[in-house]
Amino acid sequence: MLRESGSGEDVSKVSSRFIWRRQELSLTARNISSLVIDDLCDEPCEEEIAIAMFYCDFRDQQKQTAINIIGTILKQLVVRGEVPEHVRAAFRKAKNEVGGRRLRLPDMIRVLKQAIAIFPQVFICIDALDECLPKHLLELLASLKGILEESPRTRIFVTGRPQVEVEIARHFTTSAVPISPKTHDIKRYLENKLEKDTEHYAMSAGLRAEILRIIPERVSEMCVGESKIHLMHDPILTNRGG
Amino acid sequence: MNKVTADENPEIMQWLSPLDPRGRHQDVRTDRLDGVGNWLLETNEFREWRSNEGGADKAVLFCYGNPGVGKTYLR
Repeated sequence: MLRESGSGEDVSKVSSRFIWRRQELSLTARNISSLVIDDLCDEPCEEEIAIAMFYCDFRDQQKQTAINIIGTILKQLVVRGEVPEHVRAAFRKAKNEVGGRRLRLPDMIRVLKQAIAIFPQVFICIDALDECLPKHLLELLASLKGILEESPRTRIFVTGRPQVEVEIARHFTTSAVPISPKTHDIKRYLENKLEKDTEHYAMSAGLRAEILRIIPERVSEMCVGESKIHLMHDPILTNRGG
Repeated sequence: MNKVTADENPEIMQWLSPLDPRGRHQDVRTDRLDGVGNWLLETNEFREWRSNEGGADKAVLFCYGNPGVGKTYLR
């Protein structure tokens, strides 16, 4: 049991003032995606690059079809400048047909390829592929594969749970990097939480140091190779009896 | 750009897709802590992907992990 000598207050008691969800640890794939997007946007580059992104979300699965995702990628390339004539022409043609019908997926892909060809380099970042409905995911991956075949300088960054790797591997040769919490990241998160703690009177320097030492070690240990570890069952963190 | 084409642009954007991820991206990046996750940017996989060094074989970078769910707490 962790206890700071003299204070009588243990780490678990103090930490109970927070709800520390792992989702809040700022270590999730979603944060990694936003970091990569910002890094690409901030990096000085000699040639003009275009960056398009999308965050999949299980709460909006019905709307997140392959054609809508490909469409929003196209939208982001288009808004960088004037709407290219080929996009405008496709829109006007569609508008005059059956009261403005939308493009079909193959047509949307074709228009996107034309838009990509305008740029020396295009990055496409799609977060949380596993949150797509399976039928939409397959169509999306097949669409991206077609884009890569015709535009080999395009770079695609995707995140998701490990189980989507099988589907991804069916469509592309990929480099894969596991995302797991790093000690530095957890410490940074804890420091931020402690700085924002409104009950400063209950925290001493010794206890603060102990929290910053013990919890990152414990979380890192638990996250190595894990998928379903429930931190609330950890004896050190839940034993309030000292 | 003439007025007709400028007026048409919002309609074209909506026609292309009803999805707009910009607000979501802003929310996520606002909550992100500086320095967290920077290790990824230093990996060989990311650098090769970013720089095109790996050619077509390194065109897709997949980062995988098990995101926390709301039910998993550290108390």
